[in-house]
Order: sequence, then C-alpha cells, then structure tokens
Amino acid sequence: MSKRLSLTVAVIAATALLAGCASPAADAKQEITFAIEGANLSAGHMDPHSSQLDVSALVGRNVLDSLVAQDLDGSFKPWLAKSWEISDDQLHYTFELRDDVTFTDGEPFNAEAVKANFDHITAEETASAHAAAMLGAGVAYKDTTVDDEYTVTVNFTSPYAPFLQAASTSLLGFYSPKVLETSADKLKTGGPDVTVGTGPFVLTEYTPDQELVYTANPDYNWGPENAEHTGPSDIQTLTVRILPEPSVRTGSLTSGEVNVATNLTPNTIDQVGDGFTVKAAEYPGIPYSLHLNESYGVFADPKVRQAFSLGFDIDSAVDSIFFGQFQRAWSVLGPTTPNSYDPSLEGTWEFDADKANTLLDEAGWTERDGEGYRTKDGKRLSARWIAYTPIPDDRAALADVIQSDLKKIGFEIKREALEPAAYNEQYGPRTYDITDWSFANVDADGLRSHFHTDGFQNASTVSDPKLDALLDDAVSTSDEAERTTLYQEVQQYNATENLMVPIYVPSLLTGYSDSVQGLQWDLYGRPLFYGASIAAE
Amino acid sequence: MTVLIGLSTRKPPAVGVIVAGVFLAALLAAALVPSIFTSTDPLNAEISQALTAPSAAHPFGTDQSGRDVFSRVLYGARYSLLVGFGASAIALVVGLLVGLLSGLSPKPVDTVLGKVIVVLMAFPEFLLALLVIAIIGPGEASLVAAIALAAIPAYARVARSQTLVVRNSSYVRSATALGVPRLATIVRHVIPNTLGPLLVMATIGVGTAIVSAAGLSFLGLGPAAPTPEWGVILSEGRNLLDRAPWVAAFPGLVITATVIATSVVGRALRGRK
Amino acid sequence: MEHPARGGRLGTRLLGHLGGVLLVIWGAATAGFFALKLVPGDPVEVMLGVQAQVSESVKAGIREDWGLNDPLPLQYIEYLGRLVRGDLGTSYQLREPVLGVITAQLPATLALTGLAILFALAIALTTALFVRGVWMTRLASSIELVLVSSPSFWIGLLFISFFAYRLHWFPVTSTDGLAALILPALTLALPISGILSQVLRDGLTRAADQPFALTARARGLGYPALVARHTLRHAAADGLTLSGYILGSLIGGAVLVETVFGRPGIGRVTLRAVIDRDLPVVLGIIVFVAIAFAVINLLVDLAYELIDPRLRS
Repeated sequence: MSKRLSLTVAVIAATALLAGCASPAADAKQEITFAIEGANLSAGHMDPHSSQLDVSALVGRNVLDSLVAQDLDGSFKPWLAKSWEISDDQLHYTFELRDDVTFTDGEPFNAEAVKANFDHITAEETASAHAAAMLGAGVAYKDTTVDDEYTVTVNFTSPYAPFLQAASTSLLGFYSPKVLETSADKLKTGGPDVTVGTGPFVLTEYTPDQELVYTANPDYNWGPENAEHTGPSDIQTLTVRILPEPSVRTGSLTSGEVNVATNLTPNTIDQVGDGFTVKAAEYPGIPYSLHLNESYGVFADPKVRQAFSLGFDIDSAVDSIFFGQFQRAWSVLGPTTPNSYDPSLEGTWEFDADKANTLLDEAGWTERDGEGYRTKDGKRLSARWIAYTPIPDDRAALADVIQSDLKKIGFEIKREALEPAAYNEQYGPRTYDITDWSFANVDADGLRSHFHTDGFQNASTVSDPKLDALLDDAVSTSDEAERTTLYQEVQQYNATENLMVPIYVPSLLTGYSDSVQGLQWDLYGRPLFYGASIAAE
Repeated sequence: MTVLIGLSTRKPPAVGVIVAGVFLAALLAAALVPSIFTSTDPLNAEISQALTAPSAAHPFGTDQSGRDVFSRVLYGARYSLLVGFGASAIALVVGLLVGLLSGLSPKPVDTVLGKVIVVLMAFPEFLLALLVIAIIGPGEASLVAAIALAAIPAYARVARSQTLVVRNSSYVRSATALGVPRLATIVRHVIPNTLGPLLVMATIGVGTAIVSAAGLSFLGLGPAAPTPEWGVILSEGRNLLDRAPWVAAFPGLVITATVIATSVVGRALRGRK
Repeated sequence: MEHPARGGRLGTRLLGHLGGVLLVIWGAATAGFFALKLVPGDPVEVMLGVQAQVSESVKAGIREDWGLNDPLPLQYIEYLGRLVRGDLGTSYQLREPVLGVITAQLPATLALTGLAILFALAIALTTALFVRGVWMTRLASSIELVLVSSPSFWIGLLFISFFAYRLHWFPVTSTDGLAALILPALTLALPISGILSQVLRDGLTRAADQPFALTARARGLGYPALVARHTLRHAAADGLTLSGYILGSLIGGAVLVETVFGRPGIGRVTLRAVIDRDLPVVLGIIVFVAIAFAVINLLVDLAYELIDPRLRS
C-alpha cells in the first residue's frame, strides 16, 4: 500500500473508531418510547405524594429526585443529599444537601424545599394513601426541621428503620416549592405546569389516558452516585404511552412502535423474540397471597387453616397459568426483599390432599352433605372469599383452580367479586373469610401493617403480642443482621399459623429492544431512563 | 330492535322453523337438566389439561384453568336463558300495564307518558341497560332488571297504541251507550288484540336479551366468575385469542344460534297471525 | 303548492321541536340525577379507591368540598344551574370537568362510528342494488339474519383472531391510524348493514311494484337507473325511520367494540365510569347522549319532510 493510501485508511479507521466510542451513536435519534399499562394514572394518580399505585411512582421517577438512592444490594448512596448522619438514639436523620441543584422552574433546591415537600406529604389535604405511611407518619414521624440553607433534619419520636428506603423512592421525591404553594390541589391531576421537579426529565406534554412526553433537563448534573451516567440525559425525548391492553402492549414492542414496554403479561411473553430482551424482576415485599381471617368463620381453627394451605396444587396452577414466568411463593416475603427473606421455608409445604383431609377430619369436619362438602353439627365447611374488581384473568383462573381443588376435599369456597365501594363495606368490619392481594415493598416492614394488632392491612385479624413485639423491634433497629433474624421469625410464625397463604411472587416483566442501551433498574425492577441511550442499528 | 327483526315479510321455509324449534328445545333441556348432555362438572379445573384444543374428550376445548368449555357453555344455558326469558317476560307484563294505563288515562297524562315512551325508545337499549347497571350495580339480578327496563318502552308503545285504537272505537262507544262499564270493555278488547304482537316481540326479544346480557357480562357487569354465563366465558377468552381461540369462538356461536332460532320462531309466529 | 303562511308554520314547528329537545334534555338530566343519588355507597370511598390509608377527618373534608353534605334540593338546583352554563360537573376519579373528559374522547368514537356508517351504507346499497332473484335474495336474507343475530363483540373477537393474529393483515398493536380503524369499524357496521340492506331491499321491492315504476320501466329505464332516480327516495324514507335505531346501535355497539379492540373513545369512558362508580361522568354521559339523540331526532324529522313532500304541509 502506498504511504498516502495507508495514511488515509488510518485516518478513516481512527474516525470510525472515535465515532463508535462516542456514545451514543451520532445518527441514532435519541428518543425512547415506553409503553406502560397505566390504566388508572389519569384517575387522579399523577402525584406520588398521595397515590398508592405503582404506576404513579413509575412515571414520577422521571421528574422527581430523592435524597438518597438505594443500590441493588440494598445499600444507600448519596443523591440530592451529599451525606447524612443518624443520631445515636436513631431519632434524627441529618442530611447535608447538594448546593448546585435547581428545579426546572428555576427555584433552588434546599432544606426549605425538603421541608415543604415532607410537610405536603403529611398534610391532611393531601390525603396521602401511601407516602405518608412510608414516611412513618402516625407511627414515628415527628417533623422536618431546617438547620441551615443546605442542612435538614428529619425527626422521629421512635426509631423508624424503613425511613432511608422510603426516602429513596419517588414517593418521597421533591416538587418545586413554588408549585406546592400555588397549585398543590392540581398535583393529583398532573400536567407540565405542576409536575415540576429536579429530575433528569421535564414533563412537557400530558394527554390523559394516552401519553406523557418528557424532554431532557439540560441542566441536570446531580444524578445518584450509583448511576452509570453523569450530566444531562442522552435521551432527548422520552414518550410514555399508556396502553392498557396486554396484547396491544406486547405487540407495540415487537412491532417496533415502542422501544421499552413494561407490565407485560406472562401469556404474551413468548411473542417477544429475537432483537429483544425480557427482564423479569421479582417484586420485593409480600407475594400474592390469600389472607385467612381467623376471627370470622371456620378459619378460627388453625387445623382448618393448615388444611386449606395444603388443599390445592399451587405449583401446577402457578406454572400453568403464568406460563412458567412467575415463581411459586414459599414465604410471606418475596426472595428479593432485602435483609429478610427466609430461604429455609422453600419446599417445606407442598400440595397434599391426603394430609388436608386428615387435618379436616381431626378438626371435626367428618360428615358429608349431599353435594360432597364436609359438615360439622349440621353446618357446611364453607369460606367466603371477597375480591375487588377488576379481577385480572389470571387471578380468576387461579381462583377457579383453588375452588375446584378444595371442592374435592369437601371444602366449599364461595367467591364474591365486589366493586371497591362494596368491597370496603365488607373489608372494613372484616366480614369475610378470605381476601387476596400482593403488596410490593422494598422493606420487610410491609409485614407490620399486615400482622400487627394495629396494622391497617391486617386482613387476618391476628393479634398476638409475641408477633407485635417482633415487628416493633424490627422497625426500630437499623442493624441489618438483627432485622433479618426478626423477620425470619415472623415468617416462621406464619408458616406455623397459616394466617397468609402465599401463592406466587409477582414479577415485573419488562421488554426492551436491543437498540436500547444503558437502562438501569431499581429494586422494584422498574426501568430507569437516566443514562439510557439508543445505539445505531 | 325487537320490532325491527320482524320487518321482513318473507316467510322462512318450514324446515328452518322446525330446526330452530328443536334447537331451542334442546337448549331448554340443557338449561334444566344439563347432565343429559354432559357428565363433566363445569367447575372442575384439571390444570394439567389447560388450553387444549377441541378433541373427543373436550368438544369445545379447555380454558386457562383446565375446565371443559363444552360443559361450561351447556351449564351456562341456564343463566343465559333465565336472563333472556326473565327480562322479556317482565318487559312484556310491565310494558303491557304501562301502555294500558297510559292509553286509559286522561289526554294530558297520556300525551306526556307517550312522549316519555317515545324518547326512551330512541335511546339504544344496550346503553340504557348499561346506565341502569351503573345505578343498581352489577350482578345477575341486575342484568335481568336492566335489560327488562330497557326493553319496556317498546312493549309499552305497542300496548298504548292498541289501547288508544280500542278506546276510540265505535264498538266501545256503543257498548258504553248500552250500559256496559267502559273500562271493562276496553280491557277485554285490548288484551287479546295486543297479546299476539307482544308475544311475537317477546319471542324475538328473548334472543336480543340474551345478546345484551352476554354483552354486559362480557364487560364485567354481569354475574361474576366462576358462573358459566356465556358472556363471562367470552370475556375469559378475550386474552387467549392467539393461544386458544376456541374459548371465545364457541360461546359466541351458541349465542348466535340461539338468537337466530328465536327470531326464526318469532317470525313464524308472526306469519301465522 | 306553496302555502303563503308556510314560513310562519315552519317557524312555529321548529320552536315546537326545540321545545321538545329541551324537555328531553331536562327529563334525562333530572331522571339521571335522582337515580344516581339513589346509588348506595359512599362517593368518597369511590374516589379514594381500595387500600387507601386516609383518615376520617380527611374524608369529611373531601365530602364538604364536593358539596355532598348539602340538602338534596339544593344539590339539584346547583346541578341544573351548572348544566345551563354548560358545566357537566367534575369527575370523581379524574378530578377533571366531565365535559372535558367527554369531548377529549369524542373524536375517536366519531371517527369509528363515521367509518362504520360508511361501511354499512356501502354494504347495504351494494346488496340492495345488485341482489335480485329468489336464490340470491334468500342467501342475502340468511346472511343478514346471521349478522343481525351475532353479538358484535364476538364478531370483533373473531376478526382479531383471524385477520390480525393469523393472517397478519391488520395491526393488533396500534390504535392509531386508518389501518387500525378498519376492523373495529367493520365490526360495528355489520349488524347495522344487515338491517339496513334488508329494509332497503324491502322498500325498493315495494316501490318497484308501484305504478310509476312500471311506467318508467316500460319507457325503457334500466333497473339501476330506476333505483337511483326514483325508488331509492321512497326506500330512503324507511331507512330514515331506522336512523334512530341505527344511531342507537352505533353508540351502544361502540362501547363493546372499543373494549374489544382496546381503543380509546366514549365507550371506554362510559365503561370505566360505570365500573368505577364515577357518577358525575355517568350523569354527564346520560345528558350528553340525550342531547345528541334529541338533536338527531329533530334533524331526522326535518329530513323526513324534505324527502317526502307529502309530509310538508
């Protein structure tokens, strides 16, 4: 090769190499379209401070930043707070904030802003259905005090271990104080002028029930320490499309209309083929379980509860109905719940119709009536299961199997699908035998609301001072090892008492095209778009 | 809708009427004693058999829980026919009474009532039923009530016009002049004259009531799972269209066949008058 | 024959019609309002949803804000007052004005029903014009019977299963664009086209037997020309009678078709409102549909008089 030619080749090669190194590829449009289920988002759930829905936190994360970030191993990393200190009595968390953060409407982020936001969460008018409880309001949270311009202290009346985890979520994210002052009543409806934060994206367009359009925040320079990216987002436009129909959502991914799609359903996953990746992230917290009310009817007898838990084939049902995408649950906590899961419970209780039959005989339900159901003293062995509509098809199919299997051992299950208002009428006074739900929570403290005598989600109406003590101790210590031991005891307690029958661990199924790079995930398995980019084809 | 299917004046061949009649009779039998046609329990979920295609063992295939779709459709006949007959019967009786009352009332009352009936008739029956459910809440009884309420105006209209015709007829006037109580004469003449067309409407109405009920159940406003009502089964099949289209295909087929059968029989009844 | 006072008569008739329209709207609004007040359950619970951790004092505050503590007659008067100003109230769930909710979703439904009407007319006209003879008529009648008897949502499901999943002719995925509109519009159109073609054919046959038609044929007028120029007008009158039913079928059917195909529109709004017990939206829909129907009936009456000169004086 002549010298000139080889030089030219070298220059071309070097340019090509450099172009390849520069991320993202210069010719690929840095736009991501993201499909979510989002059916209830427009129904007043645009505000993570007040909403109890997962979708609110999901979309809120693009705009609202938090004090700290939680890494996938459970540890906490600085974000809007450079550093923090916990007092020895664990009643005061003092945060040193960054001084270079601004809201996208120009307001500065400082200690006053933190206080204004936490005050908003705990304010009566906000009617917060989740965030306030996560902050410990009503249990341990006292108030937030401003020490100086960039130092703020959150004060508690008793030690509250889940606080840092809560502070890492968008539920405790920060709105511009100006918005909180002038338009707090519009936050639930949301929109570009009110959903204003410090985040990597700015909400520029919102068409309820259709889509949200975010554009990159050009000043963004304060991402979490564990983010793999610095400076403003490479993605210039993030369009979130609301597609409630599962087949449409999956189809929009496979057809290339969207780059990322989440809330994919197990029955549509096999349509996602080459060129895509599906991430299945098990939700931490309480798996989908049946809650047995021990103070209403036949479940007062622990033998009946145990017979119930052994009386239907969970493995086959979960495997078939969810097409192998979800795992069967063995404990009242999911395996990804940090510092708490008890793996020794795996495989310890399997479907066993014979044992269930024996237990029911021992419990005195020995007679059978005309339809084959067991009776005792003339009363039929029957349990009332209430569920609130809408009921997803797969949970209905699950219930069909449970009902059918239990019939075979002589146990009658009556199901009632109630609209929320009617459901609350039954749930309030606890006039049911069975109800069902899952509860995603990165901290095992979610068990407290379910098992504590004062717990607001105590569907089993259990009241045991021993259990209360375990839960109270676990919430008031920050020692991870100690918490793990305590929560494992709680799980063992349920394994004996069968207050909750865990069925399957829900996972968040997210599919994304191979051209999407740099996606990160939070502990709930939700995609984080800061740092993402589109690679050239 | 109930009036409009009978618009065609063409008489269907007698063979069709017989087939339709036999089909309806079989359906009735299935509703009353389903075990004649199948020995499988519609609630029995054999999860290992989930989503299998139609075969000898499962003529309509199985659903996501492993239940036999054929027996579910068969047992579902009970609910669907109950709603269909119940709603039509109630609409007929109440519509007749309302129409009669309106026709017998003094002119201003009757005019207002007449206008109300016409306006209600303008509303689509399905939408009316939907709105009634919005008020009384979903459920099986609600379906019957909602569909009946939505269908009443059509019956009332027919009854009312018949009543008015009879009321103004010379026969009634002469009978009254002879001392016979006016009310008794009218009623005695209206009922036989009206019952005919109303019964035809009701026969065809059973079909449309079943479709409406299936539609409302499909939307989740009818009986809850695991009731094997046809619309419920259809909605279960909705997300399985690519894997198991039989779950949605067969109940719909049965519904269509039922409606065709009722309109064929209804038209034949009308033709006989 | 022009009647000298025709303009005046027309004026009074129009006023009468308008009065009727207003009466219908008021009736629907009042009936809806009181019916919804009968609904059991606490609206505040509905608004907050399940698993909400909210204190009683907050709930009381919400109740106060929405005027739910006022005496019933006062609520009714306020409701009528708002209605006159065009304010259909605010949705419990969406926290937005009901009118805004409805008008935002209206274009999608209008596009769907518009295309459906076109399809139905096209199908009906084609069969009415070209179906002749005993066997073809019998076949057409049977097909029409099947179409009218099938649940529209079942047909939609079959279409999706067949054309979208198996043949891949139409997109399952998107809800935007004309291609995605075709299957839903066709589904909506089929039952209506069944009735419409039946009625048109009957009307045409009857009109074709009339003396004027026989005269025209004797003079050498071909059948399609006969239809286009003369008998269609007669048959169209019958078609107009059905327009009320057709519109009703379209709107009622839209709820089902939009749900089956996962499309946005009034149908989805209505269904969500019914399921979520969002009573202001339900009430708003009742009033809105009442207005639409009253106005359309008015137009139909006027159109009737246009088509059939006999009705004019």
